[in-house]
Amino acid sequence: MGIDRLAWRAVLARPLRSLLTIIGIALGVGVLSASLTLSAALDASVGRTVHDIVGRADLRVSAFLDAGLSDSAVQTIRGTQGIATVAPVIQHRTFLASTPGGGATNAVTVLGIEPVSYDTIHDLVIVRGRSLVASDDAGALVSEVLAKEDGYQLGSDLTIQGPGSQGPLKVVGIVEGFGPLGGPGRTVVVPIELARTAFSLTGVTRMDLQLAPSASEAATTAALASRLTEPYVLASPAGIAQSLRASSADFQATAALVAAIVLFVGSFLIVNTLSMTVGERAREVGLLRAAGATRGQVGRFVFTGALVLGLLGSGLGIFTGAILALVMADSVSAATGLTATVPGIDPSGSATAALIGVLITIFAAIEPAVRASRISPVEALRARFDVPAVRRARAWWVGIVFVTVAFLALIAWPPAIAATGSERALAVYGVLLLATLASPFLLQPLARLLGVPVGMVLRIEARLARVSLARDRSRTALTLGSLVVGLAMVVALGWSAQAARASAFAWLNDVVPGDELVSSIRPIAADEGIRPILAEVPGVATVTPIAAFDIAFKGFRLDAAAIVGADVLADGRLTAVAGDRRAALLALDAGGSTIVPTAVATRLGLHVGDVMRLALAGGERLDLTIAAIVDRSIPGPGGEAVLVGWKDATDHLGVSGADSFAVRFQPGAGAAARQALSDTAKTYALEANPIERIQGAVADALARVFSVFDALAIVAVIVAALGIVNTLTMSVVERIRELGLLRAIGMSRRQAMRMVIVEAGVLGSVGVVLGSLAGIAVGAVLLALGRGLGPIAGFPWVPIEFAAALGFILPVAAAIYPSRMAARVSIVDALEFE
Amino acid sequence: MRTSSSRSLLDISCAATLERPDRTARIGDWSRTAPQPEPGVLAPPILEAHDLTKTYDLGGKRIDALRGVTLSVGAGEFVALMGPSGSGKSTLLQLLGGLDRPSSGDVVFEGRDISRLSDGQATKLRRERTGFVFQAFNLIPLLDVRENIGLPFTIAGHDANRGELKERVQQAIELVELTGKEKHRPDQLSTGEQQRVAVARALVTRPSVLLADEPTGNLDYTTGGDLLHSLWRSCDHDGQTIVLVTHDARAAAYADRVLVIGDGAIREEIVLGRRIDHSATPLIARLAQIGL
Repeated sequence: MGIDRLAWRAVLARPLRSLLTIIGIALGVGVLSASLTLSAALDASVGRTVHDIVGRADLRVSAFLDAGLSDSAVQTIRGTQGIATVAPVIQHRTFLASTPGGGATNAVTVLGIEPVSYDTIHDLVIVRGRSLVASDDAGALVSEVLAKEDGYQLGSDLTIQGPGSQGPLKVVGIVEGFGPLGGPGRTVVVPIELARTAFSLTGVTRMDLQLAPSASEAATTAALASRLTEPYVLASPAGIAQSLRASSADFQATAALVAAIVLFVGSFLIVNTLSMTVGERAREVGLLRAAGATRGQVGRFVFTGALVLGLLGSGLGIFTGAILALVMADSVSAATGLTATVPGIDPSGSATAALIGVLITIFAAIEPAVRASRISPVEALRARFDVPAVRRARAWWVGIVFVTVAFLALIAWPPAIAATGSERALAVYGVLLLATLASPFLLQPLARLLGVPVGMVLRIEARLARVSLARDRSRTALTLGSLVVGLAMVVALGWSAQAARASAFAWLNDVVPGDELVSSIRPIAADEGIRPILAEVPGVATVTPIAAFDIAFKGFRLDAAAIVGADVLADGRLTAVAGDRRAALLALDAGGSTIVPTAVATRLGLHVGDVMRLALAGGERLDLTIAAIVDRSIPGPGGEAVLVGWKDATDHLGVSGADSFAVRFQPGAGAAARQALSDTAKTYALEANPIERIQGAVADALARVFSVFDALAIVAVIVAALGIVNTLTMSVVERIRELGLLRAIGMSRRQAMRMVIVEAGVLGSVGVVLGSLAGIAVGAVLLALGRGLGPIAGFPWVPIEFAAALGFILPVAAAIYPSRMAARVSIVDALEFE
Repeated sequence: MRTSSSRSLLDISCAATLERPDRTARIGDWSRTAPQPEPGVLAPPILEAHDLTKTYDLGGKRIDALRGVTLSVGAGEFVALMGPSGSGKSTLLQLLGGLDRPSSGDVVFEGRDISRLSDGQATKLRRERTGFVFQAFNLIPLLDVRENIGLPFTIAGHDANRGELKERVQQAIELVELTGKEKHRPDQLSTGEQQRVAVARALVTRPSVLLADEPTGNLDYTTGGDLLHSLWRSCDHDGQTIVLVTHDARAAAYADRVLVIGDGAIREEIVLGRRIDHSATPLIARLAQIGL
């Protein structure tokens, strides 16, 4: 019989162990494959999204102010050299008068287009009816989603609400899916002149530009910069793609990090399995050596076995990865805002993952193979009591495998992601490596300590369980190491989620001067009298208006918010880290001052007393003195907002009204006041959102992001549990004779079963303690180096409790089979067992 | 008073008629629960087998390991089961000790049929009434001598390091002459010492019957002799009932009675009587006479 065949038989000889190892490899490869597939899907989605946004445009010029790009700016752009096609659009949120059936309706987005130029740059897919033909076409298109939700059909009447609305339009076409603006898809497309009239606008929201074949992007950009006098935002497809990639890079980097952790755990399982095989086959190996087998042949015996496991596991992993990717696609889409479409098995990601799986398996086999080749025939055949030291795994090899997996993990990810998360990943790998290498030294003292309560009730089971854990320290350390790593990630990610949630909640509480935010889909001017109406609602104490807009400073687009300083001061919101809070808030109302959040001040190197010179329409400038720097500010779409007073906002920055009102209730005002506010808000097409609801939405969004990571971390713990099944089964098999003896001298089946379960429980308990400690360290690293997670906050009691439940229940569940095996040991057979 | 050695080997028809040894030489306070016949009085049987059979099904092939064995072991008797490999002697020992169930027939231990006991009842029997010594020592490698010997108490849920049980463990250690090596682990002991630990563990619960399966199989000539002498002494001094399985005539010569097993049945009964010199010559001569 050839060596290869013998290796194959060794794999088949322990079907359960081989199967569990294959499943472990498959899960590791699967998670890696899914992570790579989803990364590729997100990259593809970026391309699609960019095309959906800008079509075939080379540049997009967007208005900076609410009023839009003026006619003169539009004409200037049209006249700029190198621009071949210009497609101006107006985009405006509003309500439709009613649904075709006459019922109330939710808000829609109206897109006003020039049909000819728009069609040149964008693909508007009409599924029913016709497209718009001219700028004065009296028809409207609706998205399939809107048609379905509100019941529009070809020929339905549609009335846009606006100051210059001119009666119903006929629906002449249905646009595919979400329509030209993507989700949520409630979009109406009308000719641009019609939109301009309906909303009484003079300017346009943005213009998509196609360059002439001879023109360069850089030259056109420079020409626009020199000719346009009002503030604008210029974007290119490449820039938008970069921005989209950046928005999902953190997510992908963390997903990649957790996938690497699953690989670590998988590699521990492989090393452990191969070491067990070598240990178990030591006598056979000794016989082979005695019969003349060379060291090379013995090494090949181990390598072939590893290759069989690696190939089978990686093959299964490809399918596992495809299923995982499909299952996770929705969560990933929700978490990143990009649509990750997974087309079944991704050849590139699957091949890379499978190759890495096989490489790690073979690499993990090196040390056991070398060890097997060094087994002395005499020693192997003479072994009487326990396995000779040479048969045991070397804990240091785990360290080398760990570092190798980390290296492979870092090079496997796309460069952009690796760059985003490499520093953080290296720190996390370092902490986990330390925890793994420390495990063997801490195992016995911790097992002794944690076994005390069990020992008080189950003396013999606890004693023998500890003895069993000490039998092969390297094997136990490997098993424990994988459990520690998996649980550490559960704790760390749980803590990160907790800190992010706490940070978001604290942020809202710190900056929003109210119990509810009443929001509007259009700016509400002060003279519309909405604020006093809301203030008169019974139970309402204060109402303060807030407007969100953009400002341009030193070439950066910054989020800004207009607030009433006195209201915020009275409500006790905002925490100043520099400057006088009271004076700064009052200075806002007086005009000429601003308050800057720490994040912006740090990024732009701003200090109290500095002057921010903002670009305004018509080439004018507005100087605002920084009166204070605050810890946190009102959140905007792209970050924390620079705060300005209403006077500056309306006089100079183009703000026409409030987007929302922060409403504070009187002490003791209950549900009736909330209901009254909600009813009043609805009367004026406003929506009242309690802070708790906003916090809930934030928590939901975070939960969607972290659910993906948690799922991956739990896969790591499951792989660790597979290792525990392997280890305990091996432990029972090795002790068959002992178990037979114990049964012969009076140990009951139940005691034998309990002994194995206690062993798993002690292993799990030690894993929970070490995993929690490592998790706290990893969590601190993630929070310190992770962007947007918030500062280290609170203690991760809940994640630790979850990890404790997981770390205790899974090992005990993993012990069920080996414990039943131990209980079923036939005394007669066991005593004859060799 | 030791008169058994002066008796002729073959003129004693039943071991139960043996004159009992002087019991004043007991170690400590090892009170026995098994019946203790007075010298010269017929010892009641403590262990009986009636028409025992044991059949194995090995991959569709039927193997009759025992074919209707009937025997009786008196309290305080030292009986050896002898026979070649595969004769069924170990299987018989396992059935007598409640380690396995017969295919048919009964095993009566202290007047109670143990051949149909539930697993729990059989476990209790092994824990409280029988002791086992095996060829392969079967010590727990990571427990020390004291812990290995006290294991039956620990399994029963008692603390072997306290009170009377601690005393009994110590007495067992002294009995097998391992004083000073209580903290040694099995791999720090010689093979003979390991087997003495196994004997001490089997005796520490003061079992009614000690069942030993080739206990000297892994020992050299001198060490094996020492161990057999220890067993004999526990029988002779303390009235310990012993059933010994061996294929070695020298070991069997320590017994009061030898049952020769072949092909799953008792082929010959040889009564040696209680003797102090343990010479194997008469037994070997008798075995030669019957062609073994």
